[in-house]
Order: sequence, then C-alpha cells, then structure tokens
Amino acid sequence: MTTQNAPASMYRTTEGLGVWDHKGKVAAVGVGHSPTARRWDGTTEHTLGANSILALRRAIEDAGVSPDQIDGLVLDPVTTTGAHWEAGNAIPMDVVNAYNPTDDPLDGIAKLSAEWILKNMPELTNVKFTMYGPGCMSHAIVVAAQAVGSGQTNTCLVLKGWHNLEGRYNQAGISAADEVSGTYAIGPGRTIWGPPGCYGTALQFAEYCRRYGKTHDMMAPFMANSRRNGLMFPEGYWAQHRPEELTPEDYLAARWIAKPASLFDNDIPIMVSAAYLFTTAERAKDMKQKPVYILNHASSRGTSRSLTPTLDEVQAETGSTGRKILEGAGISVSDISFENMYDGFALFHQFHIEGLGYRGMKFGDALDFYQTDISIEGPNPVLPSGGNIGSGRSRFWMHTDCIQQLQGRAGARSVTGVKPEIAVSGGPMPMGGNFTVWSASPD
Amino acid sequence: MRPFRLPSGQVIDETTATPINERGIYLAILISFDIDGTLDVGDPPGVLTMEMVRRAQEKGFLIGSCSDRPISGQRAIWEQYNIPIHFAVSKHQLPEVKAQFEAEAYWHIGDREDLDKKYALEAGFEFLWPDEAAEMPWFVSEDSHGDP
Repeated sequence: MTTQNAPASMYRTTEGLGVWDHKGKVAAVGVGHSPTARRWDGTTEHTLGANSILALRRAIEDAGVSPDQIDGLVLDPVTTTGAHWEAGNAIPMDVVNAYNPTDDPLDGIAKLSAEWILKNMPELTNVKFTMYGPGCMSHAIVVAAQAVGSGQTNTCLVLKGWHNLEGRYNQAGISAADEVSGTYAIGPGRTIWGPPGCYGTALQFAEYCRRYGKTHDMMAPFMANSRRNGLMFPEGYWAQHRPEELTPEDYLAARWIAKPASLFDNDIPIMVSAAYLFTTAERAKDMKQKPVYILNHASSRGTSRSLTPTLDEVQAETGSTGRKILEGAGISVSDISFENMYDGFALFHQFHIEGLGYRGMKFGDALDFYQTDISIEGPNPVLPSGGNIGSGRSRFWMHTDCIQQLQGRAGARSVTGVKPEIAVSGGPMPMGGNFTVWSASPD
Repeated sequence: MRPFRLPSGQVIDETTATPINERGIYLAILISFDIDGTLDVGDPPGVLTMEMVRRAQEKGFLIGSCSDRPISGQRAIWEQYNIPIHFAVSKHQLPEVKAQFEAEAYWHIGDREDLDKKYALEAGFEFLWPDEAAEMPWFVSEDSHGDP
C-alpha cells in the first residue's frame, strides 16, 4: 500500500462553498497521547515510532473499539520542523531493527510513514485506507474528516507524532548545510544563516502595535493564562516535567529573539505523539466515549507578495478563513463557546481570533481583550488548551482540548464560564492552515 | 586544586569568598549560575551539584542564577533546595546584576558559547565552563581535603 498526500480536492479552501456536505456526520470519539519528553533519549522504548504506537493504542482503547474495526489511517509523515537528522550521524540500527523497519532506516525515528505504523501494529488487520495530511495534526484532521464523510473510511485513526533530537532546533541537518536550493536559506527559521523563525511574525506584530497603539507588554495576561491552562493539561510537557508558571514578570523579563518577539513567544520543541479515532456519527453512538461532531473543516492557503507576509495580507487571510469556518458550519460566530486557535508563535494568536471575529472582535481589539477575564472560568475563554505555550510544541493540544471539553473530560481545565457546545481549533499559520469546528451535538 | 586568580591579580589560595581589597574592605565574589546543562538539576543535567553551590553560598559568595528559565521558576528551584540567593535573572540581565552588587569579581558559569559566554563577557563577567568551574576552590568543603 503506497500512501499518498491528500489531494487538494479534499480541502475546503475557498469562500462560497456553503455548508459542508458532511456536517455532523463525522465524529471524534477516542483520544490517545504518549508521554512527553524534551528530546529523544536514544532508547528503543522512547522513539517517535514507539510514542506513536502508544498514542494510537490508547485512542483505540479510549474509543472502546476492537482494532479490526479500524479501516483507515491518516497521519503527517513529517515529524519535525527543526530537528533534522545530521547527514553524517550514524543511524542506530539496533533501534531500527528492534521494530519492523521500512526501506528508510530513519522511519520511526525522525519521520513516520503509514507503512511503518502498519508493519508495527499487527492488530490493525483491516486498514484499507491510508493518506497523509502533511504539515501538522490540523491537516490530518481535515483529511480524515473528509475521508470519513465521503465514505473512504468508516473508522479512522488520525495521528501526529513529533520527534526532537539532541542539539538546538533548526541548527543541524539541512539547517546547517553550506548550500541549499532556492530561497530556502533566507526563510525565517529554516537555517542558521537566515532570520529566526519568529522573525516574520515579529514584523507583523510590530506593525500591528504601531497601527493600533498597542504594546508587547499587553501580551502578558494571555501568556500567563495559557501557561496556567497548560499546567492543567496532564498530557502536556510543562505539566509533566516542569510545572512552573509563566508570570507577567517572567514574560516581560525574557530576552528578545527578534524584537518584539521574545523567548517565551516561541514554544519549546518536544517529543510527543497524539492520536484520535474518527468515525461516522452513526457508528460513534455505540462507542465508549461521547461523540464530538465535526460541523465543518476549512483551510487557508494564502499567498504573500514577498518572503514575509505583511499585516494587511495576514488580516485579509484570517478574515477570509473566519468566514469559511462559519459558512461551512452553518453557524454564526456567537454560536462558538470557546476558541482554540494556534499559538506557536504566541504573537499571531490574535490574528487568528480577530479574523474569526471571536466575541465580536475587530482587527486591533485582541490585546485589549487580553486585559479582561479570558480564563476558563470566565465568559470569554481564550485558548483553554493553553496551546503550545501551555504544553509544548505539538500543534495538537488545541484539538485535544476541544474534544475533551465537549466530551466533558477536560478535568481541571474544563471551561465553566460558558457551556461547552461548539468550539473551533486549527492552524498553524495565519497565512496557511486548516481549521475544524467541533460540536457536542450533530446539528 | 586550581590556583584562583582574581581579575585584579590577587591570588586566592584559600577557599574564602571574601578577600580584603586594597582599601581594607571585605568584598565578596559573585557567581552567576546557568541552570540547564550547568547544574545537576538542569535539563540536561550539568556537572555542578546543588551541594557544591550550597558550599559556595555558605562561604559567603554572592550567588544567583542567570538562565533562560522563567525567573519565578529559577527562584522555585533555589527554594526547593533551601539555598538563599542574591539574584535570579534572564540571560541578558547580567549587566543589571553587576550594577546592583559590588563585588571583588564577577563570574558566570554556563554551557553555551552564544548564550552564556557571550553574554557574560559582554557584561564584564569572567566566564567558566561547568567542568572548569567544578575544579574551583569555591565548591570545596572545608574538610574535603581538596575534593570538590
């Protein structure tokens, strides 16, 4: 079985498509996570592949299905954005051969194929549909939702794994190569020769502050709130390893990475995998957990005129994305109980929620909004998952949180200021990402 | 044991933290510790143990941490080990430490060329890698016969 990237036709990228054909007919039921770690420790037991198998098995168990009921697998084969394997580094073949390898010895260590998963999960005897949603969990979710909705698979596992290696992010492998093709080297965060990854967002944020008369300091309540929420996320890195707050004093004392983006506006790369079990709304009724229905998925594919998008381009794109999210779900923004838009980099979260129009926000409103009660106990919860700030770089806490909140399984992190009925999550970038509308009921 | 020469040229052959300067005033030596990759409680763990740090503190050195960890998190570590500190700052705040404390010498110990050595030297601190620091007399207990 050769797994392909999802075709462009599976993504809903334009406005005017109307309500999604499969609204309320696809549901998330099971959730599974691996433990987190800062970096791979080199052991067989803690590889990316091992973490991913564990997450998948936990999702299956959580949903209460038998493995042979599963007929689909959607995942992202790329498992890092900056922990690239150094070409000259020896590959630990004892680790590779402890599993059933594919032709690529790094498969299961620094990348992940559907073939590797199926070779190492013999209990998945009935998987007939595999597809890649390359980019992050946000991609994989919309691909899986579309696949279940259109009948390509009935009960589908959705997986995202992350590896992190010894050394600094974006400073090994291709990032340290003397020669790379095209404009790769000068893109933010790609190599040690170019600007830091947060450079583009920092430029947009600087212009945002200038245009609307805001300051970087106004981010502090949002950052503290996000870490607070993350410390109530037992699956997350900070909760598991370093349960420390990020106070306004901490945030404001951080050094600049690309002013006005500071150290804590960037997330911490980690090892972790997560998996969800999606199925049809009909099948979900008989499973172990409460179904969380998908009302819509929408994708952003913005293009900028230059290497770094301008604030105007970002706002035009997030505004369009917000309209697509609502249109396809057949809801208005006032129907949304809470938002879990992406935050890694922290300085672009407000672009996402302003584009969505969360709680009536217009462009330029979010930093003032952050000065109000944005806690999970209040009427206007912002990022109750805590996102990457709260739990480490995974790009999936926001999705897990939506599912758990709507299932009533978010524990100490449960939103109490609003009734959790409809939520939206997605990302990563304001100029390009994939977004999902989740609901406690199918209509 | 390594000979310990202050920037002023004065050689210290004892483990005291309070040499007498030319004005007859006792001045402490200030030591700034990075955490991750430097202290054994760091991630990754470093070679300097909290017990070694405690010895330096008990001898009267001015000690504190300078790390990329949140300041509140740095303080929490010191509180957890019940080691009183004089400062906890972010990487770029060593100049403020130097301005705040008058000391005979200022040292920063860290494991990164770009984030420890560079910032330390720019701030006018002396710099030591963790394995170099571990051999300094600052961390030797009075009855250890030179074993740190």
